[in-house]
Amino acid sequence: MLFCFFNSKAQIQDTSAHTVGTKKFFMPGAAVAMFQMNSTKGSPTTITFMPVNIALFPLVKASDRLFFDGGINFNVNTDGTVEPQLIELIAYYRINEWMSVFAGNFSPHYGVYLGLLDDFTNRFGVGVPPVGMGHGLQNQNGLGIQGGFQAGYSKFSYQLYVANGPSLVVDSTVVGGNNESGTLNYGNIIDNNKNKAIGWHIGYLPFSNSSFEVNFSGEYAPKTGDAGTPFENVSNLTWAAGLNYYHVFSPVMVRVIAEYDKIQVGNANYFNPDTSVKNHIYTFTNQQNGWFAGATLRASGSKKQFIKNLELGGRLSEYTPPAGALWGTTPIKQTTMTLTEYLKWDIPLSLEYDILTQSGSPTQNILSAIIFFRF
Amino acid sequence: MKFKITFLYLFVLVLIAVTGVINACKTPEAITAKSGAQLWGENCNRCHNAPDPVTYNDDQWDVVAEHMRQKALLTNTEIAKVRDFLKSANKQ
Repeated sequence: MLFCFFNSKAQIQDTSAHTVGTKKFFMPGAAVAMFQMNSTKGSPTTITFMPVNIALFPLVKASDRLFFDGGINFNVNTDGTVEPQLIELIAYYRINEWMSVFAGNFSPHYGVYLGLLDDFTNRFGVGVPPVGMGHGLQNQNGLGIQGGFQAGYSKFSYQLYVANGPSLVVDSTVVGGNNESGTLNYGNIIDNNKNKAIGWHIGYLPFSNSSFEVNFSGEYAPKTGDAGTPFENVSNLTWAAGLNYYHVFSPVMVRVIAEYDKIQVGNANYFNPDTSVKNHIYTFTNQQNGWFAGATLRASGSKKQFIKNLELGGRLSEYTPPAGALWGTTPIKQTTMTLTEYLKWDIPLSLEYDILTQSGSPTQNILSAIIFFRF
Repeated sequence: MKFKITFLYLFVLVLIAVTGVINACKTPEAITAKSGAQLWGENCNRCHNAPDPVTYNDDQWDVVAEHMRQKALLTNTEIAKVRDFLKSANKQ
C-alpha cells in the first residue's frame, strides 16, 4: 500500500493554484422547514408546522494549504427560544497530494453520513431520521490526518485521529427510563480522564468512476469513566460498515445506501435508585446495534425536467438497544418511503412517509413534508 | 553461505513482488487523463447533485473546493481539476 502512495505521488503533479497569502472568506448557509403529521393508535393525531432551522458555515481559505471550516446551527426550542449550536470548528493544513492534518471540533467520518453527508444529501428525507443510525459517534475534540489516494484504477480514502473521546454516563439518582447510566456523552470539551480515544475511517472505491464505496470506520476508547472512579476503565468500541453506490442504467439512475453500526461498552455495576427493586446494584451487556438500507430511483434520462428531477426512495431500518439497561427499550423497526423533487440542484422538496413499529408500543405513522435550501 | 543465498533469493522475490505491486498500482493514463468536468460529475454525484458552475464566482469556488476536498477526502489533483473546471465554466 505504501508503494502505491509513493507511486501515485510521483506521477501526479501538484496542480493547485499558487495563491499563497490570499485569504478568502465565504459563508454559505442552509435552512430546513418542515410540516409533520403523526398518527399513533390510541393517541390524538398531531399536525405541526416545525420551526425553520438555519445553519451558517463560515469558511476561510487562509492560504493555499491552510483552511478553516466552521458550522453553527440555530435550533428553535419548543418554547420559541433560539439556541446556537456548534456543528464543527476545524483547522486543516494540506501536507501533500494525499494527506491533510486537522485539529479542532470535528464530525468524524463514520458510516456513510457522519462527517460527509448531511440533511441536504439525505435522499430519504429528514422528517424522521433512520432509527438504526445516530447511535454511534458524535463530534470530537482532537487532531488527526485524512485524505485520499489513487491505487491503480481504485481509490482509497482515510482518516485517523486522536480525540478526547466519550465519557460514560453514571446516574444514581434518576428513577426509571430516563436514567441513562451506561450511555456515552460526547459533549464534554474537557476530557474526564487522561486516556485518549483513537478513531479511523477507511473507504475503498474499487471502480475508476468512484461510483461505489465501501467503508469501515470506528473509534476505540480504552477508558470512558471519570478518573479515579470504579468506572474509569470501562472501555468502548464503536464501529460502522457502510456502502454507497450509484449507477445510471439509462434512463434511470439507481442509488443504494446502507450502514451497520455497533456500540460495545464494557460492563460495569450501576446503581438503580428505584426503591421498589430488591437489588439496587445491576449490570447488563452494554451492546447496541442498528442498520439501515435504502435505494432510490430517478429517471435522470427523462426529457421532461420535472420528471428528471424526481426521485423515489425506500428505506428499511432497525435499532436494537441493550437488554437490561434502564433506558433500553425493545427493538424498533422503521419503513420509509420518500418522493423528492429537486427544485434546484441544492433545493430538495420531499414528501416522506414513515412507519415505526415497536413491540409493546402502538405503531406510529408519520407523514412529513420537508424543504431544504442552501443560500 | 546457505543463509546468504536464501536471503538473496527472498530479496529478489520480494523485489519482483514489490515491482509487480507498484506496476499494478501505477495510476493508469485513463485516470490521470480525466478532465475536471468528468471528475466534477463523478465525485459530486456520489453524494449530491453536481452543482451548476454558475452557482458561485471564482473566489467562492476556491473556498468551496477546499471545503469539499476535506469532506469528500479527494486528492489534490482531483480537487484542483474540478475547481479549475468550475471556474472556467461559470462565465456567462
